[in-house]
Formats: sequence, structure tokens, C-alpha cells
Amino acid sequence: MGKLTIGCFSSLVGSVSLDFAVKLSDAAVKKGHKVDLWVSGNATMLSKKGQKAFKDYSHLAKTLTELFATGNFQATACEACAEARGYHKDDTMEGWKRHSMDWYLASCFGADRVLHIGGD
Amino acid sequence: MKLGVFMSDFRSGSDIIERLSAEKLGIIFVGNGVYHATVEENGKASPVLDKSATFYVLTEDLESRGFGSADVDSRVKPVTYSDVVDLIFNDYEKIIWI
Repeated sequence: MGKLTIGCFSSLVGSVSLDFAVKLSDAAVKKGHKVDLWVSGNATMLSKKGQKAFKDYSHLAKTLTELFATGNFQATACEACAEARGYHKDDTMEGWKRHSMDWYLASCFGADRVLHIGGD
Repeated sequence: MKLGVFMSDFRSGSDIIERLSAEKLGIIFVGNGVYHATVEENGKASPVLDKSATFYVLTEDLESRGFGSADVDSRVKPVTYSDVVDLIFNDYEKIIWI
């Protein structure tokens, strides 16, 4: 089994690439792989707690909670990106970490595969 | 190098695909990239499909845009997220997103 690191940049909740990143993470973990997910820019909003589910609208919080529970999934939000958007550590969903981009670089170096998804 | 490319858009990225070369090239259409696998313009399929590569399309993104397997160009293989994971770990050493 391998380790996949996904970096998702500047994608808001509801965007295609952020949906893709979480669904790919879910599929990889279900196959026994480990996944690290890094989000920066607007994608940090994925780590905000209190996300509500609406019909026909992307809702990834439930999948993320299930992924964290497996122990084979880590997700980290860019701390500076989150703070710049006015949301702070105490407003972060359980399971998420907040770090500088060093965390992403270290994860990339330790990964078998890296997928870097640019902004949209 | 064995290179896997996620192509997520229909109107941009084709120029990058043109310039790419790899020992083994796989192109996986996701998001709005699935239109490359399904849409003909002026009676012609997407020029991306003329590239020497193996083509895949993500079934979920295909279906969310109202397409089925029958709408997919014969050069493109529909795949699930689970299949994509296997492609990433077993078939391609490097993966990029455009």
C-alpha cells in the first residue's frame, strides 16, 4: 500500500476540484492507502466547522469525518490562508491540522504519489 | 517516464497536452474535461484524442453532466474513482492536473 499526497489550491467548497480531491482521498483510503490532503487559499474553507448539508449541494464534511476516523487520512489547512480569511483555530473542524506550507512539502517528499491541483 | 494527466477543463489545457511527451502517457478526463470524451464539434471529436495516449474518463463526472458510457468515444475507457486510484499507484509514476 502506498501514500498519496494531494495539494488543493484556491478552490472553494462546492468547486469541482475540491470535490474531486476528497472523493479521490476516500477511494484511496478504502483501498488501503494512506492519504495526506493539503488545502490552501480559498480551499481552507473546507476545514471550517459547522458546514451544513443542503440538497444538491456539495457536502464533504461527513466524508472527511469518516476519513479521519480511519487513521489513514490526514488533512491540513494553510494556517496563514485561514487567518487571512478571518477564521481562526477555534473555528476549525475536528480532525484538521493547521500548519505552514512546510507540512505540505514534507508530506510530498514522503509520498509515493503527489497530485497538485491548482486553483480554479 | 510514465505520466498520468488529469484534464479538468474543455476549453483550456489542450495546448499543454500537445507539448507533452512521455514514455507512457495516460489522460484521465475529469470535471468539464469529460466533454473531450463525449462532444463532437463540426463533426469532429476533440483533437486531444489524436494524441498517442491511453484515455480514461471518470464515470461520476460523466453521469453528472448527463452522459452515459454509450456517449463516450471508443478510444476512451470509463473508470471509477477506485479505478483511478489503481491507475495512480500501478500505472503512472507521476501525475499532474491541468
